[in-house]
Amino acid sequence: MSVTVTRRPRRLRTGYLLLSLVGALIGLAFLLPLWWTLVNSLRPGSDTFAFLNPLSWQTFFTLSPNLDNYVTLLSGDLGRAIGNSLFISVVTVVAGLLICAMAAFGLSAIPFRGRGAIFGIVILSFLIPFDAIAIPLADMFRDWNLQNTFIGLILPGIGNGMAIFLIRTFFLAIPTELVEAARLDGLGWWGVFRRIYLPLSRPALIGAGLTLFLFQWQAYMWPLLMGTDQNHIVGPVALSNLQGQFNVDYGVMFAASVILTLIPLLIIMICQRYFIQSVSTSGLK
Amino acid sequence: MRRVSLALVALSATAALALSGCSASSSDPGSADGSVVKLLGAEDPATFAPVISAFEAENKGTTVKYTQVPFDQLSSTLQQRLAAKDKDIDVYTVDQPNVSQLAAQGFLEDLSDLKDQAKKATTPEQYSVNVYQDKLWALSVWNSTQMMFVNNDALAKAGIAAPTANPAERWTWEQTVDAGKAAQAAGSKWGLLFEQVEGYYQLQPLAESLGGGSGITGKDMLTADVTNPGWTKAMQWYADLYSNNVSPRGVGGFQTSPVFADGDVPFFIGGPWDVGKFAENAKFNWSVVPMPAFAGGKAVTPNGSWSWGINPASDHKDAAKKFLEFAALNPAGNLATTEKTTIIPANTEAQAKYLPTLEALGGTHSAGVADLITEEIKTTAVPRPVSVGYVQFESMMNKAFADIRNGSPVEARLKDAQSQIEAAWKKLR
Repeated sequence: MSVTVTRRPRRLRTGYLLLSLVGALIGLAFLLPLWWTLVNSLRPGSDTFAFLNPLSWQTFFTLSPNLDNYVTLLSGDLGRAIGNSLFISVVTVVAGLLICAMAAFGLSAIPFRGRGAIFGIVILSFLIPFDAIAIPLADMFRDWNLQNTFIGLILPGIGNGMAIFLIRTFFLAIPTELVEAARLDGLGWWGVFRRIYLPLSRPALIGAGLTLFLFQWQAYMWPLLMGTDQNHIVGPVALSNLQGQFNVDYGVMFAASVILTLIPLLIIMICQRYFIQSVSTSGLK
Repeated sequence: MRRVSLALVALSATAALALSGCSASSSDPGSADGSVVKLLGAEDPATFAPVISAFEAENKGTTVKYTQVPFDQLSSTLQQRLAAKDKDIDVYTVDQPNVSQLAAQGFLEDLSDLKDQAKKATTPEQYSVNVYQDKLWALSVWNSTQMMFVNNDALAKAGIAAPTANPAERWTWEQTVDAGKAAQAAGSKWGLLFEQVEGYYQLQPLAESLGGGSGITGKDMLTADVTNPGWTKAMQWYADLYSNNVSPRGVGGFQTSPVFADGDVPFFIGGPWDVGKFAENAKFNWSVVPMPAFAGGKAVTPNGSWSWGINPASDHKDAAKKFLEFAALNPAGNLATTEKTTIIPANTEAQAKYLPTLEALGGTHSAGVADLITEEIKTTAVPRPVSVGYVQFESMMNKAFADIRNGSPVEARLKDAQSQIEAAWKKLR
């Protein structure tokens, strides 16, 4: 008996150690390209491929890191592009959350005929890839003179089916008794939405907000179709513009990539707790 | 609860303000009065700043607004926006082999009234690339050629005398590979490198040198011909470079110049833009010599670069034409397009003024470059074929080049490419 007692924990411990090792290796494999990008952003572009073949410790480390590539970025469009992307993303999050939350409220709390059909259309809207409708949509926007405007860049991100779906699922978990009580006390639908649903749904709103933010932060094809000039340029387009026809300074490109990755990374890390909470509690009653 | 609702109201107000504010900021005061010319291209805005300010100084009241589109998306963005008759593009840059396709689609304004001036301004090759069905559709702004950059230190280590810049003493590809292998034996990592390892532009001369032609034939230039002995032999030679470890497989197109700058290869096939790059980065004794040809074959160098054309949907065609003429036909204007980049102006007069500046960039390393470029453009330059099916042809050939350098059997892969191109062209005939 005592033999089995001592053996089992040892086997468990070995298994646990092995699993941890495999987990750590997989984690490192994910980190490696990001780390390589960071290291190469800290050395001259001409050194990017110097240590690739054969692989050595210098491939992943540099003894003379410098910020020259980041300083070079200051003279280009990237600063303005990041500012524009942030502006577009923040306005989209604020306006989009308001509209998506109202839609979700209508589809979850207010009983009316055809509610299921409308929700079906909403679901369908986010199952169709945006790229598939971008070209005809761009033609419509051009007819409305929204080309090369911030409104033209913001509008497609505001009504997001995925965000409506996330918030609606969360709203459905709110007990209907609360709504009935509030209605009996004389609160209108707007009051129920504003005073009961919104305060209770912070995690879902943050999750949906992140979805809206990332949609705009990563937007690339739409700004190109909208004919954005230097005043309306967005981050991903500015990053791609760094790749010249005859010459690519990989050091500068990697520095720009690091900056463009860090901003959403910081936001996601800050909101991570709420995001997980919103996804894990969606649909729970 | 009140705080939450207040915050919500504030947020909605911010959104509304932002939306109304940004619509105001996006209005374009100049676009309605006809004095703004909108130029679209893939270059950094700094590249075209000198030609724009020179034009604006000569044409008071007219301004030029430049928009950059990422190089890889230029073609698709142009297709979508021109098809939608987008008036926000007046003048745009056209990759020369695409001229005929864009013209056939109705995306270029007919410039035939400028034929005589255009003929006088540039070389016959640079004039002909803009002609489709006897009409002139664009004007050449830039030109290019290819040369071989040599690491003389690496050759000296192997006891080999470096080639010279004299085109009459042009090396053969066979000689170059032998010297490259000797340099590898003496310590070089690689023997020979192309800059555009999977690019038709740089590989076309290999087949042309062996009599294989451009790969496109026929009266309507819609017959693929990439399986003839010239193409097969040239591509087998190219495949051998990789299977014999003379060239590295892992480094992609336009990523190879750092390998030369790091001193890891004795021979590098590159363009005029590399002169400035190596002047800055290469810390060894290098020189520039003619691009080799096959033993017993013809000396052929790539040619062509960018032309500019006018969008037929433009509301400012007159101002656009004025700007285009300034950038292509006026020597001073054309020279200004190359002030911030190392590329050859297509205008012959501008080219003569520009080449000494290019040669001076590399000091003694680039001695003789001006004469070499002038000679190559005059005698060995072969432009890419003019065909409405060029876009599909280039894309399929570039895929074949990639497969061939990664080990696909040459004959079979060229046959595949030929049938793929023929299938794609069926609907164009």
